[in-house]
Amino acid sequence: MATEVRTQTAGNMWKVLVKPGDTVAEGQVLFIMEVMKMEVAHEAPVAGVVSAVHVAEGAEGLDAEDLVVEIG
Amino acid sequence: MTTYAQPRYLPGGDRYMLIEFGNEMNLELNFMAQGLAGAIVANKVGGVIETAPCFASMLVHYEPDDISFADLQTEMERLIGSLGPSDDIELPSRLFYFPTVYCDPWTKAAIDDYTAKINPEKEYDPAFVARLNGLSGPEQLVRVHSGTEYWVAALGFWPGLPFMMALDPRCVITAPKYNPPRTWTPQGTVGMGGASTAIYPVATPGGYQIFARIPVPIWDPKQRFDVFADSICLFRPGDRVKFVPVSVAEFEDVERQVADGSYTYNVVEYQKFSVAQYKAWVSRLDRSKRF
Amino acid sequence: MIEVIKPGLETAVQDWPGRIGFWNQGFPPSGPMDSWSFRLGNVLVGNAPGAAGLECQYLGPTLRFVDAAVIALTGADMGAKLDGVAVPLWESVAVAAGQVLALGPAKSGTRGYIAIAGGIATEPWLGSRSTFHQAGVGGIGGSALKVGHEIPIGPGNGTAGRRVKPEARPVFSTDKRWSVEVCAGPNDDWIDAAGQQRFLSADWKLSSKSNRTGFRLEGPDWTFAEKAYDKPPEHGSLPSNIIDHGYPLGAINLAGQTPIILVNDGPSMGGFINPYTVPQAAFWKLGQSRPGDIYNFRQVSVERAQAMAREMKALCTQASIL
Repeated sequence: MATEVRTQTAGNMWKVLVKPGDTVAEGQVLFIMEVMKMEVAHEAPVAGVVSAVHVAEGAEGLDAEDLVVEIG
Repeated sequence: MTTYAQPRYLPGGDRYMLIEFGNEMNLELNFMAQGLAGAIVANKVGGVIETAPCFASMLVHYEPDDISFADLQTEMERLIGSLGPSDDIELPSRLFYFPTVYCDPWTKAAIDDYTAKINPEKEYDPAFVARLNGLSGPEQLVRVHSGTEYWVAALGFWPGLPFMMALDPRCVITAPKYNPPRTWTPQGTVGMGGASTAIYPVATPGGYQIFARIPVPIWDPKQRFDVFADSICLFRPGDRVKFVPVSVAEFEDVERQVADGSYTYNVVEYQKFSVAQYKAWVSRLDRSKRF
Repeated sequence: MIEVIKPGLETAVQDWPGRIGFWNQGFPPSGPMDSWSFRLGNVLVGNAPGAAGLECQYLGPTLRFVDAAVIALTGADMGAKLDGVAVPLWESVAVAAGQVLALGPAKSGTRGYIAIAGGIATEPWLGSRSTFHQAGVGGIGGSALKVGHEIPIGPGNGTAGRRVKPEARPVFSTDKRWSVEVCAGPNDDWIDAAGQQRFLSADWKLSSKSNRTGFRLEGPDWTFAEKAYDKPPEHGSLPSNIIDHGYPLGAINLAGQTPIILVNDGPSMGGFINPYTVPQAAFWKLGQSRPGDIYNFRQVSVERAQAMAREMKALCTQASIL
């Protein structure tokens, strides 16, 4: 059962740092959103292999709780 | 006409009035603005919450529950009428001397960063400003810019940030603003936009042409020095500033004194600024001669 | 006392009307962007409408209530839970000592407000508890909330179970469009007739490059009247450049061709014109909108804008509480 990593807030996708197949450690930054000119880093809650990335870098107008990365 | 025969009273939303005295950078207009600000306080005008004088204008923040825009305008007209000619104005005026490195490495780094990331066409600011004003180069820019006292006409844009005007007309230069603005400016930077000189109290974005830096804080939330006893902002409108060219080594020495708290501000506090005497002096100057 | 477990995106102590009287030194008023929701929250818990509370933006905080309290949540719905149980908005709620209040992302609207009976009791700074964190002013040690901050609360007189009448609550847009009131001026005469028409009829998109310092708008180009070109050179070279002047709060500041609405933490003066100004009573719409939303500006007279503020002030009283 894949671990889902979702957006914590509405905003833009500033940087996507992983792609499917990447091995990530727990706590590793997977993607960084930008909202109110602030960076919001999203970290992997578990170690594992990225199985899917659903949002591209530069995507704008995301909602909170949009699915971005799946691990495992 | 660049000084209006009658000031213009312009609404700013439901709670602000902008009073325009004229259309140019003219010290007299600032004397009028500062004079009116003082008169409003002295007369305790009902419904006025606060005022913010600027170069040629003044913003009034009022409480609409206490006074209407129309009644406020009537009251302002009455006060302005009672002020008399600006020639009669005499203001106590402190004079600050600041050690200043012109064409310094820190503003150069900010300019280099801007040309690398935002606009590769940007000409190095000291050379650019010198060229636009018909000066022979950065060295003359230093002599001309540092050759005058500056009058603090207003504070704003950022807490404690002074907007200053050259008092010696032979030293008046102008500079366009960055388009688009820089995303950062070193703290203590001295820069120019239009005909005004400003000092950046902290590292903020900005659009002024930049060409010098001072090591002395003009804003101190911790109030470590005596000059900040009454406020965390050093300046008041009506202060004057003299930039004294120094070397990087002297700058760093002052920086150390500021860091360890031993620095003593160089401020002259016994002078009164007389508008009449100032105007008489200006009329005797040969404005065609630059330093 | 309240302990901060998670700070949220940018959560800060604010009071109303904010830090007033220091505009001429460059201090913005700060304070809550949606003062309608903010004031009603205070009234719900028995505070003066302007008492210090928390403004939460986009993503709310998680707070532990060390002492029992009466609180109210207003503004954006951030899915608040008290020890895991959902907390209603627009109602005063009893919190027992030790309970944890967790707010999530804003679902409708953008800014949520937490009022606590007794008000936040930090040391005021230049007359206000409002936070201007960019300059290290007010709030808790000059900043927005951080993990581990302890928020002091004053003695309060709140009653749980009070509700704001539904008709007294702001209604947020559900179609990402907002009709926002503006007053003409101070510098509307720098814009030509076609430009004024264009401003008032166009769709203006709120840019993501926006925060409490300024709300940047994307839309059509502005066209200027004669006086924007026929001016002494010291104004600056762009038609929207003017000799530096004081900025009204809410001014639509035209930086080149980019309109930026100057909001609660914005600059007090500068060298660009302000052709229109958003009045105080319309600020809540700015505060509850988010990037991508469209503004259509509707011109109102100064007198009408003043009446709107008076109406809102009358609404933010016990008369609106059941």
